[in-house]
Amino acid sequence: MAPLPDWTAAAPAILLGLTAIALLIIDSISPRSKNRNLLAGTTLVGTLAALAAAVGLLVTGTGTNGGVAIYGGQIVVDGMSLFFTIIFTSVAALVTLASYDYLAGENEQAEYYALVMLATTGMAMMASAGSLALVFVSFELLSLPSYALVAFLKDNRGSVEASLKYLLVGALSSAILLYGISLVYGVTGGLSFETIAANIQNSGLTGMLGIGVLMVLGGFAFKTASVPFHFWAPEAYEGAPGPISAFLSSASKAAGFVVAFRVFTVAFGLDIVSSVDWVLAFQVLAIVTMTLGNFAAATQDNVKRMLAYSSVGQAGYVLIGLAALGGGQDALVLGMSMTHLLVYGFMNTGAFLFIALAEHWDIGRTFADYNGLGSQAPIACAAMSVFMLSLAGIPLGGGFLSKYFLFGAAVGAGFWWLAAIAIVNSVLSLYYYLRVVRAMWFEESNGDRTIEGYPLGLYTAVIAAAVVTVLLIPAFNFVADPAVDAAAALF
Amino acid sequence: MVPVQYYLLLSAGLFCVGLFGILTRRNALVFLMSVEIMLTAANINFVAFSFQHGNLTGQVFSLFTIALAAAEVAVGIGIVLVLYRNFRGVDVTEAATMRW
Repeated sequence: MAPLPDWTAAAPAILLGLTAIALLIIDSISPRSKNRNLLAGTTLVGTLAALAAAVGLLVTGTGTNGGVAIYGGQIVVDGMSLFFTIIFTSVAALVTLASYDYLAGENEQAEYYALVMLATTGMAMMASAGSLALVFVSFELLSLPSYALVAFLKDNRGSVEASLKYLLVGALSSAILLYGISLVYGVTGGLSFETIAANIQNSGLTGMLGIGVLMVLGGFAFKTASVPFHFWAPEAYEGAPGPISAFLSSASKAAGFVVAFRVFTVAFGLDIVSSVDWVLAFQVLAIVTMTLGNFAAATQDNVKRMLAYSSVGQAGYVLIGLAALGGGQDALVLGMSMTHLLVYGFMNTGAFLFIALAEHWDIGRTFADYNGLGSQAPIACAAMSVFMLSLAGIPLGGGFLSKYFLFGAAVGAGFWWLAAIAIVNSVLSLYYYLRVVRAMWFEESNGDRTIEGYPLGLYTAVIAAAVVTVLLIPAFNFVADPAVDAAAALF
Repeated sequence: MVPVQYYLLLSAGLFCVGLFGILTRRNALVFLMSVEIMLTAANINFVAFSFQHGNLTGQVFSLFTIALAAAEVAVGIGIVLVLYRNFRGVDVTEAATMRW
Protein backbone atom coordinates (compact mmCIF):
# COMPACT_ATOMS: atom_id res chain seq x y z
CA MET A 1 0.00 0.00 0.00
CA ALA A 2 1.29 3.41 -0.92
CA PRO A 3 1.91 5.70 2.04
CA LEU A 4 -0.72 8.35 2.63
CA PRO A 5 0.12 11.86 1.45
CA ASP A 6 1.48 14.15 4.13
CA TRP A 7 -1.55 16.41 4.37
CA THR A 8 -3.64 13.54 5.75
CA ALA A 9 -1.79 14.07 9.03
CA ALA A 10 -3.94 17.19 9.47
CA ALA A 11 -7.11 15.09 9.05
CA PRO A 12 -8.57 15.86 12.52
CA ALA A 13 -8.50 19.61 11.95
CA ILE A 14 -9.79 19.21 8.39
CA LEU A 15 -12.69 17.02 9.56
CA LEU A 16 -13.63 19.54 12.25
CA GLY A 17 -13.54 22.40 9.76
CA LEU A 18 -15.64 20.45 7.25
CA THR A 19 -18.20 19.70 9.98
CA ALA A 20 -18.50 23.42 10.70
CA ILE A 21 -19.06 24.15 7.02
CA ALA A 22 -21.60 21.33 6.75
CA LEU A 23 -23.55 22.81 9.65
CA LEU A 24 -23.56 26.23 8.01
CA ILE A 25 -24.81 24.65 4.76
CA ILE A 26 -27.60 22.89 6.66
CA ASP A 27 -28.46 26.23 8.23
CA SER A 28 -28.62 27.97 4.86
CA ILE A 29 -30.92 25.26 3.46
CA SER A 30 -33.32 25.32 6.39
CA PRO A 31 -32.72 28.43 8.48
CA ARG A 32 -33.63 28.39 12.17
CA SER A 33 -33.99 24.65 12.06
CA LYS A 34 -34.91 23.08 15.37
CA ASN A 35 -34.10 19.60 14.15
CA ARG A 36 -31.93 18.67 17.11
CA ASN A 37 -31.22 15.16 15.86
CA LEU A 38 -29.82 16.36 12.57
CA LEU A 39 -27.74 19.22 13.96
CA ALA A 40 -26.35 17.56 17.08
CA GLY A 41 -25.97 14.31 15.12
CA THR A 42 -23.88 15.96 12.39
CA THR A 43 -21.69 17.62 14.99
CA LEU A 44 -21.24 14.44 16.96
CA VAL A 45 -20.36 12.39 13.88
CA GLY A 46 -17.82 15.00 12.75
CA THR A 47 -16.27 15.25 16.21
CA LEU A 48 -16.04 11.51 16.69
CA ALA A 49 -14.55 11.12 13.19
CA ALA A 50 -11.89 13.68 14.12
CA LEU A 51 -11.30 11.87 17.42
CA ALA A 52 -10.95 8.55 15.61
CA ALA A 53 -8.55 10.12 13.11
CA ALA A 54 -6.41 11.55 15.89
CA VAL A 55 -6.34 8.25 17.79
CA GLY A 56 -5.57 6.39 14.57
CA LEU A 57 -2.70 8.71 13.68
CA LEU A 58 -1.27 8.46 17.18
CA VAL A 59 -1.51 4.66 17.28
CA THR A 60 0.01 4.20 13.84
CA GLY A 61 3.01 6.24 14.88
CA THR A 62 2.58 9.44 12.84
CA GLY A 63 3.77 11.41 15.82
CA THR A 64 7.15 9.72 16.10
CA ASN A 65 10.44 10.87 14.58
CA GLY A 66 9.69 14.55 14.95
CA GLY A 67 6.26 14.30 13.41
CA VAL A 68 5.04 15.40 10.00
CA ALA A 69 5.67 18.98 8.92
CA ILE A 70 3.38 20.29 6.22
CA TYR A 71 2.93 23.64 4.45
CA GLY A 72 6.59 24.47 4.83
CA GLY A 73 6.66 23.67 8.53
CA GLN A 74 3.70 25.89 9.39
CA ILE A 75 1.77 22.85 10.62
CA VAL A 76 3.58 20.20 12.64
CA VAL A 77 1.65 17.06 13.52
CA ASP A 78 3.48 15.17 16.24
CA GLY A 79 2.68 13.20 19.35
CA MET A 80 1.81 16.25 21.40
CA SER A 81 -0.52 17.77 18.83
CA LEU A 82 -2.37 14.46 18.41
CA PHE A 83 -2.56 13.91 22.17
CA PHE A 84 -4.14 17.31 22.64
CA THR A 85 -6.43 16.89 19.64
CA ILE A 86 -7.77 13.82 21.42
CA ILE A 87 -8.53 15.99 24.48
CA PHE A 88 -10.23 18.68 22.41
CA THR A 89 -12.40 16.32 20.39
CA SER A 90 -13.40 14.28 23.46
CA VAL A 91 -14.51 17.42 25.27
CA ALA A 92 -16.29 18.69 22.16
CA ALA A 93 -18.14 15.37 21.85
CA LEU A 94 -19.29 15.53 25.50
CA VAL A 95 -20.34 19.15 25.08
CA THR A 96 -22.29 18.32 21.94
CA LEU A 97 -24.12 15.50 23.69
CA ALA A 98 -25.01 17.81 26.57
CA SER A 99 -26.09 20.64 24.28
CA TYR A 100 -28.66 18.37 22.68
CA ASP A 101 -30.91 18.81 25.71
CA TYR A 102 -29.66 22.19 26.80
CA LEU A 103 -30.61 23.84 23.50
CA ALA A 104 -34.08 22.33 23.15
CA GLY A 105 -36.36 24.98 21.68
CA GLU A 106 -33.59 27.47 20.83
CA ASN A 107 -33.64 29.11 17.43
CA GLU A 108 -29.97 29.40 16.55
CA GLN A 109 -28.86 25.82 17.10
CA ALA A 110 -27.00 25.43 13.80
CA GLU A 111 -24.94 28.53 14.51
CA TYR A 112 -24.20 27.27 17.99
CA TYR A 113 -22.84 23.95 16.80
CA ALA A 114 -20.99 25.59 13.91
CA LEU A 115 -19.28 27.96 16.34
CA VAL A 116 -18.35 25.07 18.63
CA MET A 117 -16.83 23.24 15.67
CA LEU A 118 -14.94 26.32 14.47
CA ALA A 119 -13.52 26.84 17.95
CA THR A 120 -12.48 23.17 18.09
CA THR A 121 -10.81 23.56 14.69
CA GLY A 122 -8.90 26.51 16.12
CA MET A 123 -7.79 24.38 19.05
CA ALA A 124 -6.60 21.56 16.78
CA MET A 125 -4.64 24.12 14.73
CA MET A 126 -3.14 25.61 17.86
CA ALA A 127 -1.94 22.17 18.92
CA SER A 128 -0.09 21.69 15.65
CA ALA A 129 1.12 25.24 15.04
CA GLY A 130 4.67 25.39 13.73
CA SER A 131 5.01 29.17 13.58
CA LEU A 132 3.91 32.17 15.58
CA ALA A 133 1.81 33.29 12.60
CA LEU A 134 -0.32 30.16 12.83
CA VAL A 135 -0.37 30.47 16.61
CA PHE A 136 -1.96 33.90 16.36
CA VAL A 137 -4.42 33.01 13.60
CA SER A 138 -5.63 29.86 15.39
CA PHE A 139 -5.70 31.74 18.70
CA GLU A 140 -8.23 34.11 17.11
CA LEU A 141 -10.10 31.26 15.43
CA LEU A 142 -10.64 29.87 18.91
CA SER A 143 -11.33 33.19 20.63
CA LEU A 144 -13.87 34.76 18.28
CA PRO A 145 -16.37 31.86 18.33
CA SER A 146 -15.88 31.62 22.10
CA TYR A 147 -16.94 35.23 22.65
CA ALA A 148 -20.05 34.64 20.59
CA LEU A 149 -20.84 31.36 22.33
CA VAL A 150 -20.64 32.91 25.79
CA ALA A 151 -23.20 35.50 24.65
CA PHE A 152 -25.43 32.80 23.20
CA LEU A 153 -28.28 33.55 25.64
CA LYS A 154 -28.79 36.97 24.10
CA ASP A 155 -31.59 38.04 26.43
CA ASN A 156 -29.88 36.89 29.59
CA ARG A 157 -28.03 39.71 31.30
CA GLY A 158 -25.50 37.40 32.91
CA SER A 159 -24.61 35.81 29.59
CA VAL A 160 -24.12 39.17 27.86
CA GLU A 161 -22.11 40.60 30.72
CA ALA A 162 -19.90 37.51 30.79
CA SER A 163 -19.30 37.76 27.07
CA LEU A 164 -18.44 41.45 27.31
CA LYS A 165 -15.85 40.81 30.00
CA TYR A 166 -14.44 37.89 28.07
CA LEU A 167 -14.20 40.06 24.96
CA LEU A 168 -12.57 42.96 26.78
CA VAL A 169 -9.86 40.85 28.38
CA GLY A 170 -9.51 38.69 25.28
CA ALA A 171 -9.08 41.57 22.85
CA LEU A 172 -6.54 43.21 25.15
CA SER A 173 -4.53 40.04 25.59
CA SER A 174 -4.55 39.22 21.88
CA ALA A 175 -3.18 42.70 21.20
CA ILE A 176 -0.47 42.09 23.81
CA LEU A 177 0.29 38.68 22.30
CA LEU A 178 0.58 40.19 18.83
CA TYR A 179 2.90 42.94 20.03
CA GLY A 180 5.03 40.33 21.77
CA ILE A 181 5.17 38.31 18.54
CA SER A 182 6.25 41.42 16.64
CA LEU A 183 9.12 42.00 19.08
CA VAL A 184 10.23 38.38 18.82
CA TYR A 185 10.10 38.73 15.04
CA GLY A 186 12.19 41.86 15.29
CA VAL A 187 14.85 40.02 17.28
CA THR A 188 14.94 36.78 15.29
CA GLY A 189 13.82 37.77 11.80
CA GLY A 190 11.34 34.95 11.40
CA LEU A 191 8.06 33.58 12.67
CA SER A 192 8.53 29.84 12.30
CA PHE A 193 9.72 28.07 15.42
CA GLU A 194 12.81 26.73 13.63
CA THR A 195 13.96 30.19 12.56
CA ILE A 196 13.31 31.61 16.00
CA ALA A 197 15.18 28.79 17.72
CA ALA A 198 18.10 29.19 15.32
CA ASN A 199 18.46 32.96 15.72
CA ILE A 200 17.38 33.60 19.27
CA GLN A 201 20.78 33.02 20.83
CA ASN A 202 22.99 35.31 18.79
CA SER A 203 20.81 38.38 18.55
CA GLY A 204 22.22 40.42 21.40
CA LEU A 205 18.92 42.24 21.89
CA THR A 206 18.14 40.67 25.24
CA GLY A 207 15.94 43.49 26.54
CA MET A 208 13.62 43.53 23.55
CA LEU A 209 13.50 39.75 23.44
CA GLY A 210 12.66 39.64 27.15
CA ILE A 211 9.73 42.02 26.75
CA GLY A 212 8.53 40.07 23.72
CA VAL A 213 8.69 36.73 25.54
CA LEU A 214 6.84 38.15 28.54
CA MET A 215 4.11 39.58 26.32
CA VAL A 216 3.70 36.26 24.51
CA LEU A 217 3.45 34.61 27.92
CA GLY A 218 0.73 37.11 28.84
CA GLY A 219 -1.31 36.12 25.81
CA PHE A 220 -1.11 32.46 26.77
CA ALA A 221 -1.95 33.28 30.39
CA PHE A 222 -5.25 34.64 29.10
CA LYS A 223 -6.12 31.45 27.23
CA THR A 224 -5.19 29.25 30.16
CA ALA A 225 -6.99 31.56 32.65
CA SER A 226 -3.82 32.05 34.68
CA VAL A 227 -2.93 35.06 36.75
CA PRO A 228 -2.69 37.94 35.74
CA PHE A 229 -5.26 37.43 32.94
CA HIS A 230 -7.70 35.27 34.88
CA PHE A 231 -10.25 38.00 35.63
CA TRP A 232 -12.52 36.98 32.81
CA ALA A 233 -12.72 33.33 33.85
CA PRO A 234 -15.12 33.42 36.82
CA GLU A 235 -17.44 35.82 35.02
CA ALA A 236 -17.38 34.01 31.68
CA TYR A 237 -17.82 30.56 33.20
CA GLU A 238 -20.63 31.73 35.48
CA GLY A 239 -22.57 33.63 32.85
CA ALA A 240 -22.10 31.33 29.87
CA PRO A 241 -24.51 28.48 29.07
CA GLY A 242 -23.42 25.41 31.08
CA PRO A 243 -22.02 23.33 28.20
CA ILE A 244 -20.03 26.33 26.97
CA SER A 245 -18.52 26.81 30.43
CA ALA A 246 -17.44 23.18 30.26
CA PHE A 247 -16.00 23.68 26.79
CA LEU A 248 -14.05 26.83 27.68
CA SER A 249 -12.75 25.69 31.03
CA SER A 250 -11.49 22.34 29.74
CA ALA A 251 -10.72 22.39 26.03
CA SER A 252 -9.91 26.05 25.57
CA LYS A 253 -7.61 25.98 28.58
CA ALA A 254 -5.83 22.90 27.25
CA ALA A 255 -5.38 24.69 23.92
CA GLY A 256 -3.67 27.58 25.67
CA PHE A 257 -1.38 25.14 27.42
CA VAL A 258 -0.40 23.15 24.35
CA VAL A 259 0.63 26.25 22.49
CA ALA A 260 2.54 27.53 25.52
CA PHE A 261 4.32 24.16 25.85
CA ARG A 262 5.35 24.19 22.24
CA VAL A 263 6.35 27.83 21.89
CA PHE A 264 8.39 27.87 25.07
CA THR A 265 10.14 24.54 24.65
CA VAL A 266 10.65 24.51 20.86
CA ALA A 267 10.91 28.15 19.79
CA PHE A 268 12.33 29.93 22.82
CA GLY A 269 13.97 26.90 24.36
CA LEU A 270 15.76 26.37 27.63
CA ASP A 271 19.00 27.83 26.23
CA ILE A 272 17.85 31.42 26.62
CA VAL A 273 16.94 30.97 30.27
CA SER A 274 20.28 32.42 31.35
CA SER A 275 19.35 35.78 29.79
CA VAL A 276 15.53 35.67 29.67
CA ASP A 277 14.47 33.53 32.61
CA TRP A 278 11.00 32.47 31.53
CA VAL A 279 11.10 29.41 33.78
CA LEU A 280 11.20 31.74 36.78
CA ALA A 281 8.23 33.64 35.35
CA PHE A 282 6.28 30.38 35.14
CA GLN A 283 7.24 29.46 38.70
CA VAL A 284 5.82 32.74 39.98
CA LEU A 285 2.71 32.34 37.81
CA ALA A 286 2.15 28.75 38.93
CA ILE A 287 2.31 29.58 42.62
CA VAL A 288 0.19 32.73 42.41
CA THR A 289 -2.36 31.07 40.12
CA MET A 290 -2.92 27.96 42.21
CA THR A 291 -3.04 29.86 45.50
CA LEU A 292 -5.35 32.60 44.27
CA GLY A 293 -7.64 30.15 42.51
CA ASN A 294 -8.00 27.91 45.53
CA PHE A 295 -8.52 30.66 48.09
CA ALA A 296 -11.09 32.40 45.90
CA ALA A 297 -12.88 29.09 45.27
CA ALA A 298 -13.10 28.42 49.01
CA THR A 299 -15.07 31.63 49.59
CA GLN A 300 -17.76 31.11 46.96
CA ASP A 301 -21.42 30.30 47.59
CA ASN A 302 -22.24 29.74 43.96
CA VAL A 303 -21.23 26.27 42.78
CA LYS A 304 -20.53 27.28 39.20
CA ARG A 305 -18.35 30.16 40.35
CA MET A 306 -16.56 27.85 42.76
CA LEU A 307 -15.80 25.53 39.85
CA ALA A 308 -14.60 28.51 37.80
CA TYR A 309 -12.06 29.45 40.47
CA SER A 310 -11.15 25.81 40.97
CA SER A 311 -10.29 25.65 37.28
CA VAL A 312 -7.99 28.65 37.79
CA GLY A 313 -6.35 26.69 40.60
CA GLN A 314 -6.00 23.59 38.42
CA ALA A 315 -4.30 25.73 35.76
CA GLY A 316 -1.74 26.54 38.44
CA TYR A 317 -0.96 22.84 38.87
CA VAL A 318 -0.56 22.35 35.13
CA LEU A 319 1.81 25.33 34.96
CA ILE A 320 4.24 23.23 37.02
CA GLY A 321 4.93 21.46 33.73
CA LEU A 322 6.72 24.58 32.50
CA ALA A 323 7.83 25.87 35.90
CA ALA A 324 9.83 22.76 36.81
CA LEU A 325 11.83 22.57 33.58
CA GLY A 326 15.60 22.53 33.64
CA GLY A 327 15.85 20.08 36.54
CA GLY A 328 16.83 17.08 34.47
CA GLN A 329 13.34 15.58 34.35
CA ASP A 330 11.95 17.76 31.59
CA ALA A 331 10.12 15.10 29.61
CA LEU A 332 8.55 13.54 32.69
CA VAL A 333 7.37 16.85 34.15
CA LEU A 334 5.90 18.07 30.90
CA GLY A 335 4.39 14.68 30.11
CA MET A 336 2.67 14.50 33.50
CA SER A 337 1.39 18.01 32.98
CA MET A 338 -0.15 16.87 29.69
CA THR A 339 -1.64 13.81 31.36
CA HIS A 340 -3.16 15.95 34.08
CA LEU A 341 -4.75 18.11 31.39
CA LEU A 342 -6.30 15.04 29.79
CA VAL A 343 -7.73 13.76 33.07
CA TYR A 344 -8.81 17.28 33.91
CA GLY A 345 -10.48 17.49 30.50
CA PHE A 346 -12.87 14.73 31.51
CA MET A 347 -13.44 15.46 35.19
CA ASN A 348 -13.84 19.21 34.79
CA THR A 349 -16.07 18.91 31.73
CA GLY A 350 -18.20 16.44 33.63
CA ALA A 351 -18.49 18.76 36.63
CA PHE A 352 -19.59 21.69 34.50
CA LEU A 353 -22.02 19.49 32.59
CA PHE A 354 -23.56 18.49 35.92
CA ILE A 355 -24.06 22.22 36.54
CA ALA A 356 -25.67 22.40 33.09
CA LEU A 357 -27.98 19.59 34.21
CA ALA A 358 -28.85 21.58 37.34
CA GLU A 359 -29.53 24.62 35.17
CA HIS A 360 -31.73 22.47 32.97
CA TRP A 361 -33.72 21.47 36.06
CA ASP A 362 -33.63 25.07 37.25
CA ILE A 363 -32.81 24.17 40.84
CA GLY A 364 -30.65 27.17 41.69
CA ARG A 365 -26.97 27.89 41.82
CA THR A 366 -25.75 27.88 45.41
CA PHE A 367 -24.46 25.02 47.53
CA ALA A 368 -27.65 25.09 49.59
CA ASP A 369 -29.76 24.54 46.46
CA TYR A 370 -28.00 21.19 45.99
CA ASN A 371 -29.05 19.94 49.43
CA GLY A 372 -30.48 16.46 49.27
CA LEU A 373 -30.17 16.21 45.52
CA GLY A 374 -28.59 12.78 45.94
CA SER A 375 -31.91 11.18 46.79
CA GLN A 376 -33.64 12.65 43.76
CA ALA A 377 -31.00 12.10 41.10
CA PRO A 378 -28.64 9.48 42.53
CA ILE A 379 -26.83 8.55 39.31
CA ALA A 380 -25.95 12.11 38.31
CA CYS A 381 -24.96 12.94 41.87
CA ALA A 382 -22.74 9.88 42.07
CA ALA A 383 -21.03 11.02 38.89
CA MET A 384 -20.62 14.53 40.30
CA SER A 385 -19.08 13.07 43.46
CA VAL A 386 -16.54 11.23 41.31
CA PHE A 387 -15.63 14.50 39.57
CA MET A 388 -15.29 16.42 42.82
CA LEU A 389 -13.17 13.77 44.53
CA SER A 390 -11.03 13.32 41.46
CA LEU A 391 -10.49 17.07 41.12
CA ALA A 392 -9.51 17.19 44.79
CA GLY A 393 -7.05 14.35 44.23
CA ILE A 394 -8.72 11.54 46.14
CA PRO A 395 -8.10 8.14 44.54
CA LEU A 396 -11.57 7.70 43.11
CA GLY A 397 -10.62 9.04 39.69
CA GLY A 398 -7.62 9.61 37.48
CA GLY A 399 -7.08 13.02 39.05
CA PHE A 400 -5.32 11.41 41.98
CA LEU A 401 -2.72 9.65 39.87
CA SER A 402 -2.05 12.55 37.53
CA LYS A 403 -1.62 14.97 40.43
CA TYR A 404 0.53 12.48 42.33
CA PHE A 405 2.89 11.90 39.44
CA LEU A 406 2.97 15.57 38.46
CA PHE A 407 3.99 16.66 41.95
CA GLY A 408 6.34 13.68 42.18
CA ALA A 409 8.01 14.68 38.93
CA ALA A 410 8.43 18.23 40.24
CA VAL A 411 10.10 16.86 43.39
CA GLY A 412 12.32 14.64 41.27
CA ALA A 413 13.39 17.67 39.24
CA GLY A 414 14.49 19.39 42.44
CA PHE A 415 11.52 21.73 42.78
CA TRP A 416 10.27 20.29 46.06
CA TRP A 417 9.04 23.72 47.25
CA LEU A 418 6.85 24.01 44.17
CA ALA A 419 5.36 20.59 44.90
CA ALA A 420 4.93 21.45 48.57
CA ILE A 421 2.91 24.57 47.78
CA ALA A 422 0.86 22.57 45.28
CA ILE A 423 0.12 19.89 47.90
CA VAL A 424 -0.95 22.49 50.48
CA ASN A 425 -3.26 23.98 47.88
CA SER A 426 -4.57 20.57 46.98
CA VAL A 427 -5.46 19.87 50.61
CA LEU A 428 -7.21 23.24 50.86
CA SER A 429 -9.21 22.43 47.74
CA LEU A 430 -10.66 19.37 49.50
CA TYR A 431 -12.77 21.75 51.59
CA TYR A 432 -14.76 23.28 48.79
CA TYR A 433 -14.97 20.16 46.64
CA LEU A 434 -16.32 18.16 49.56
CA ARG A 435 -18.87 20.89 50.28
CA VAL A 436 -20.65 19.89 47.08
CA VAL A 437 -20.56 16.21 47.99
CA ARG A 438 -21.84 16.94 51.49
CA ALA A 439 -24.68 19.09 50.20
CA MET A 440 -25.79 16.43 47.76
CA TRP A 441 -25.70 13.40 50.04
CA PHE A 442 -25.72 14.46 53.69
CA GLU A 443 -27.89 17.56 53.88
CA GLU A 444 -31.65 17.42 54.10
CA SER A 445 -33.52 18.89 51.17
CA ASN A 446 -35.00 22.18 52.35
CA GLY A 447 -37.75 22.79 49.85
CA ASP A 448 -40.28 21.17 47.61
CA ARG A 449 -37.97 20.88 44.66
CA THR A 450 -39.23 18.78 41.79
CA ILE A 451 -37.07 17.40 39.05
CA GLU A 452 -38.75 17.10 35.69
CA GLY A 453 -37.38 14.32 33.60
CA TYR A 454 -33.94 12.90 33.17
CA PRO A 455 -32.60 14.37 29.90
CA LEU A 456 -30.88 11.66 27.90
CA GLY A 457 -28.09 13.64 26.26
CA LEU A 458 -26.96 15.42 29.41
CA TYR A 459 -27.08 12.22 31.41
CA THR A 460 -25.11 10.32 28.79
CA ALA A 461 -22.44 13.02 28.71
CA VAL A 462 -22.12 13.25 32.50
CA ILE A 463 -21.97 9.48 32.95
CA ALA A 464 -19.54 9.01 30.07
CA ALA A 465 -17.24 11.61 31.62
CA ALA A 466 -17.48 9.89 35.01
CA VAL A 467 -16.76 6.45 33.56
CA VAL A 468 -13.69 7.74 31.73
CA THR A 469 -12.51 9.55 34.86
CA VAL A 470 -12.67 6.32 36.85
CA LEU A 471 -11.22 4.19 34.04
CA LEU A 472 -8.22 6.49 33.86
CA ILE A 473 -6.95 4.90 37.09
CA PRO A 474 -6.34 1.44 35.62
CA ALA A 475 -5.55 2.88 32.19
CA PHE A 476 -3.24 5.55 33.52
CA ASN A 477 -0.02 4.25 31.98
CA PHE A 478 -1.81 3.79 28.70
CA VAL A 479 -2.30 7.57 28.62
CA ALA A 480 0.82 8.72 30.44
CA ASP A 481 3.32 6.86 28.27
CA PRO A 482 2.37 8.55 24.98
CA ALA A 483 2.32 11.87 26.82
CA VAL A 484 5.85 11.45 28.16
CA ASP A 485 7.04 10.24 24.74
CA ALA A 486 5.43 13.24 23.07
CA ALA A 487 7.00 15.59 25.62
CA ALA A 488 10.41 13.94 25.20
CA ALA A 489 10.26 14.60 21.45
CA LEU A 490 10.19 18.36 22.11
CA PHE A 491 13.57 18.61 23.83
CA MET B 1 16.52 55.53 5.45
CA VAL B 2 14.83 56.02 8.80
CA PRO B 3 16.54 53.85 11.43
CA VAL B 4 14.40 51.04 12.81
CA GLN B 5 14.56 52.47 16.35
CA TYR B 6 12.26 55.31 15.38
CA TYR B 7 9.62 52.88 14.13
CA LEU B 8 9.92 51.02 17.38
CA LEU B 9 9.43 54.23 19.35
CA LEU B 10 6.38 55.13 17.26
CA SER B 11 4.83 51.70 17.76
CA ALA B 12 5.58 51.67 21.48
CA GLY B 13 3.93 55.08 21.74
CA LEU B 14 0.85 53.89 19.86
CA PHE B 15 0.70 50.77 22.02
CA CYS B 16 0.71 52.90 25.14
CA VAL B 17 -1.99 55.20 23.74
CA GLY B 18 -4.17 52.15 23.15
CA LEU B 19 -3.44 50.72 26.58
CA PHE B 20 -4.24 54.06 28.20
CA GLY B 21 -7.56 54.15 26.37
CA ILE B 22 -8.44 50.66 27.56
CA LEU B 23 -7.61 51.42 31.16
CA THR B 24 -9.40 54.77 31.39
CA ARG B 25 -12.41 54.75 29.07
CA ARG B 26 -15.75 53.24 30.01
CA ASN B 27 -17.34 53.21 26.60
CA ALA B 28 -17.22 49.74 25.03
CA LEU B 29 -16.84 51.18 21.52
CA VAL B 30 -13.89 53.34 22.53
CA PHE B 31 -12.44 50.20 24.08
CA LEU B 32 -12.63 48.41 20.72
CA MET B 33 -10.97 51.39 19.02
CA SER B 34 -8.16 51.33 21.59
CA VAL B 35 -7.55 47.66 20.88
CA GLU B 36 -7.35 48.50 17.18
CA ILE B 37 -4.67 51.08 17.94
CA MET B 38 -2.67 48.46 19.83
CA LEU B 39 -2.95 46.02 16.93
CA THR B 40 -1.84 48.77 14.55
CA ALA B 41 1.20 49.35 16.72
CA ALA B 42 2.16 45.70 16.29
CA ASN B 43 1.62 46.01 12.52
CA ILE B 44 4.04 48.94 12.34
CA ASN B 45 6.60 46.76 14.07
CA PHE B 46 6.03 43.92 11.64
CA VAL B 47 6.46 46.09 8.57
CA ALA B 48 9.48 47.93 9.96
CA PHE B 49 11.24 44.75 11.04
CA SER B 50 10.36 43.12 7.76
CA PHE B 51 12.20 45.93 5.96
CA GLN B 52 15.07 45.69 8.43
CA HIS B 53 15.51 41.95 8.01
CA GLY B 54 14.92 42.03 4.27
CA ASN B 55 12.27 39.30 4.24
CA LEU B 56 8.57 39.51 3.57
CA THR B 57 7.32 37.39 6.48
CA GLY B 58 6.38 40.36 8.63
CA GLN B 59 4.61 42.24 5.86
CA VAL B 60 2.50 39.24 4.90
CA PHE B 61 1.66 38.54 8.53
CA SER B 62 0.57 42.14 9.05
CA LEU B 63 -2.00 41.59 6.26
CA PHE B 64 -3.24 38.58 8.22
CA THR B 65 -3.58 40.58 11.38
CA ILE B 66 -5.48 43.38 9.64
CA ALA B 67 -8.05 40.81 8.52
CA LEU B 68 -8.19 39.26 11.98
CA ALA B 69 -8.62 42.68 13.61
CA ALA B 70 -11.59 43.31 11.35
CA ALA B 71 -13.12 39.98 12.35
CA GLU B 72 -12.54 40.75 16.00
CA VAL B 73 -14.31 44.09 15.70
CA ALA B 74 -17.22 42.44 13.90
CA VAL B 75 -17.75 40.02 16.79
CA GLY B 76 -17.05 42.79 19.28
CA ILE B 77 -19.66 45.10 17.85
CA GLY B 78 -22.18 42.27 17.90
CA ILE B 79 -21.53 41.83 21.61
CA VAL B 80 -21.73 45.58 22.21
CA LEU B 81 -25.10 45.51 20.44
CA VAL B 82 -26.55 42.87 22.77
CA LEU B 83 -25.00 44.78 25.66
CA TYR B 84 -26.92 47.86 24.56
CA ARG B 85 -30.16 45.89 24.29
CA ASN B 86 -29.82 44.39 27.76
CA PHE B 87 -28.37 47.28 29.72
CA ARG B 88 -29.60 50.27 27.67
CA GLY B 89 -26.10 51.62 27.24
CA VAL B 90 -22.54 50.83 26.16
CA ASP B 91 -20.85 51.70 29.46
CA VAL B 92 -18.73 48.72 30.47
CA THR B 93 -19.09 49.50 34.17
CA GLU B 94 -22.89 49.26 33.96
CA ALA B 95 -22.73 45.53 33.31
CA ALA B 96 -21.78 44.47 36.83
CA THR B 97 -24.43 42.07 38.05
CA MET B 98 -21.84 39.47 39.00
CA ARG B 99 -19.48 40.20 41.85
CA TRP B 100 -16.17 38.76 42.89
